[in-house]
Amino acid sequence: MIPTHYFLILSAVLFTIGVVGVLTRKNGITIFMSIELMVNAVNLTFLAYARQFHDIHGLIFVFFIMAIAAAEAAVGLAIFISLFHHRDTIDVDEANLMHW
Amino acid sequence: MEFAIFFFFAAVAVIFAMVVVLHRNPVVGALSLVASFFALAVMYVLLDAPFLAALQVIVYAGAIMVLFLFVIMLLNLQHMAEPATRPIQQFLGYTSGAAFGIGIVYFILKYSVFMRLPEGPFIADARAIGIRMFEAYVFPFEMVSILLLGAIVGALTLSGRAVKGGRAAIGEEVGR
Repeated sequence: MIPTHYFLILSAVLFTIGVVGVLTRKNGITIFMSIELMVNAVNLTFLAYARQFHDIHGLIFVFFIMAIAAAEAAVGLAIFISLFHHRDTIDVDEANLMHW
Repeated sequence: MEFAIFFFFAAVAVIFAMVVVLHRNPVVGALSLVASFFALAVMYVLLDAPFLAALQVIVYAGAIMVLFLFVIMLLNLQHMAEPATRPIQQFLGYTSGAAFGIGIVYFILKYSVFMRLPEGPFIADARAIGIRMFEAYVFPFEMVSILLLGAIVGALTLSGRAVKGGRAAIGEEVGR
């Protein structure tokens, strides 16, 4: 049996890698993949605590998060396709359509 | 044995996650993310959640990452050189990320160290999840299905290119 905090630390490390990816990259799709990485790190935390407290609600939450991540991926990638059609790039620094 | 599996797949997950963040080619990044998600599915099995491990492989590594790869290849991004980020942004990103990581690991080790699990087996298979979900979570479940329907409509609306006199037909999308 592996202690719960091992999983929590792994999840924290993965979340941190995702944060660094969002902060340092310019490619919109890579930023999006970093966000997916962070979502997965949070899922791992939910499952670790669900096992620690014998509470199945954590698993149901992970199920809903997966469904919402699928919706988010579909809409987000559609936004990037639309951005690419307008700007010929997915560099997020070029996406300044709404700045003032 | 269990610890060996844990540390091996934890190393796989972390290394491939770093490849996602550090590699310049988004195709390599997407494939590394698939590998990282597979390692996380192993973690879910170790956490007594085999049903969610299967969902992780099918939904994340299967459906979502194929969508990512499909968009990367559709837009031909693998040949597009990504411009370097400004040094100040690199510096701030890495230092604040490292500070965040060190802080969160410190607080986990300080406040969230569990040495024992509660007694008895933890039953978290598809049957247990299904019973609980359709007892107490029917309404959120239906909301999620409506959300997915809305996401489909939104994705179709956003990705179709608007041209004069209506939407472009599917064949016309190629010649930009």
